[in-house]
Amino acid sequence: MSRKNKPQVGKNADLAASKTEKKTAGQFILFACLFIFTVFCFAPVLLVFISAFTDEIYITQHGFSFFPEKWSMAGMNAVLRYGKQLFTSYAVTIFVTVAGTLLGLLIMSMYAYAMSRKEFKLAKFLAIFLLIPMLFNGGQLSGYIVFTSMYKLKDSLLLLILPLCVSTMNVIILRTYIVNSIPSELMEAAKIDGAGEYRTFFQITLPLLKPSLAAVGFMMATAYWNDWQNALLYIDTNSKKPLQLLLVNIQKSIQFLLNNNNVPASARAAMGGAIPQNSATMATVIVVIGPIMVAYPFFQKYFIKGLTVGSVKG
Amino acid sequence: MKGFLENTWKHRAHVILALPVFLVLFFIMYVPMTGLILAFKDFDVTKGIYGSPFCGLENFKFLIASKSTFINITKNTIFYYILFTALGTFLNVTLAIAIDQCIFKKMTKVMQTLMIIPVFISYAAVQFIVYAFISKDTGLINNALGTNTSFYMNPALWPAILTITKIWKDTGYGSVLYMSVLAGIDTELYEAAEIDGANRWKKIWHITLPSLIPMITVMLLLSVGNVMRSDTGLFYQVTRDSGVLYSTTQVIDSYVLHAIFKNSNFGFTAATSFFQSIVGLLLMLFANWMVKKIEPENALF
Repeated sequence: MSRKNKPQVGKNADLAASKTEKKTAGQFILFACLFIFTVFCFAPVLLVFISAFTDEIYITQHGFSFFPEKWSMAGMNAVLRYGKQLFTSYAVTIFVTVAGTLLGLLIMSMYAYAMSRKEFKLAKFLAIFLLIPMLFNGGQLSGYIVFTSMYKLKDSLLLLILPLCVSTMNVIILRTYIVNSIPSELMEAAKIDGAGEYRTFFQITLPLLKPSLAAVGFMMATAYWNDWQNALLYIDTNSKKPLQLLLVNIQKSIQFLLNNNNVPASARAAMGGAIPQNSATMATVIVVIGPIMVAYPFFQKYFIKGLTVGSVKG
Repeated sequence: MKGFLENTWKHRAHVILALPVFLVLFFIMYVPMTGLILAFKDFDVTKGIYGSPFCGLENFKFLIASKSTFINITKNTIFYYILFTALGTFLNVTLAIAIDQCIFKKMTKVMQTLMIIPVFISYAAVQFIVYAFISKDTGLINNALGTNTSFYMNPALWPAILTITKIWKDTGYGSVLYMSVLAGIDTELYEAAEIDGANRWKKIWHITLPSLIPMITVMLLLSVGNVMRSDTGLFYQVTRDSGVLYSTTQVIDSYVLHAIFKNSNFGFTAATSFFQSIVGLLLMLFANWMVKKIEPENALF
């Protein structure tokens, strides 16, 4: 028994030791390198925030800068105060993200559960059926033609939800978790106690699946939030345009936002009649990427765990 | 067969649980596969995919007629795949080891969080960040160097721009996977090596790297199946789909996307898509076969 516990103890002891490890010159150099790389990764993000609050005339005269001499709220104001479309788009993106993620998680865990049952002979077929789309697919062109001219779904929110709803990799992650981390005795016990298949799944398996659902869910939500391609291909009506599409068509969008009748003449005059193009663009970027930046630190641990689970196929 | 049907009926609840995903996969993934026959058809919107007349290999003649485009997009697709995979793997592994070795754990954790952020920014947004750096009149780079380079007019500069963008976006995230492997290395190995007098570099060379090799191999092999697919956003959004830059930036996926919007060159696009899917399938099978030989437990099937 003591032998079994040893690695655990050894690991903790080692962690403690590494804290008191010598701070050699090499360590400082390594730290400096990591710091430089962090700056490389984060500085561009910072630039977005700074530019959004930089005076437009300053940008056109001196260019984008990390240390602008003149600040202004004009860009942010332009986007926030007059952007009725922005709120519509927010609603669309939030709806698609929430609906798609919840639907996907539910049906994928159902499939993963059915696939993981050993006594179920069709499970093999389900596994193959799931795998084939990973190996072979029709490509963008036939997808586009099938969805628009066969299903006649052009301009439907369904095309924002369904294509990202199921992914082979995510089902495999969920199935691996069910097989490796949920004891099958639990589910058998539930059945002996008289719970039906559905009840076993919804009351035993699904709640125990939570850590893996959080990881997969966060990745899915990010994919939905960031999806511009399906929106660009399929959505035409303004009332169905998600946020990413505003970014894609930003030049038009900003004009649209500002030339819209929502903008009172007095306000337009106050902006000097000019559109704060650069800063407003950056302000839009902030508005679009903001929610993920805020949510990500909370999900970081789940999502790192999820990646790890996914890499080990059971 | 009878036993099979009986078993299925007995577990009909499982069938019902599996049904929604089955339907989604069927309509979203499987039906479009049949669309590949368009490569052999003269597509007519009014007649649909199945009603359009067959035209034999007519569409592939377009491929040969526009040989230079076809060669260019295929060449770019493969070139960027090799560049991104080689450089990406190297940087992901290096970063993972660097983070693992650094003893300032708390600071490293914060830095790692910041490094992962770019992966969550869509390419639709990334293009504006890139623009802020390389725009001709207002860009940071021209301002800092006092130059007046028109980046958006100069295709020769784009392999570098795209590579830097890709590294910026994906390296922090890419290293996470390798870090999880490093966390699983038995610390006793390091202790034993230390007793034997190994220094830090020796430990990295003889313990850390060898333990990463299986994961590196698997990731590389599995990625082989995706040679023909690219990060569409990088090539379509970041370049602003600018025609001037096509010679170094257009890949198959961004070409097809462009063709769908411009409604142009249908036969060529259908033939190219067919080529892309078939080569993709063959490479996938090859990759899996290789993984099976080297790391059987990581094979897809």
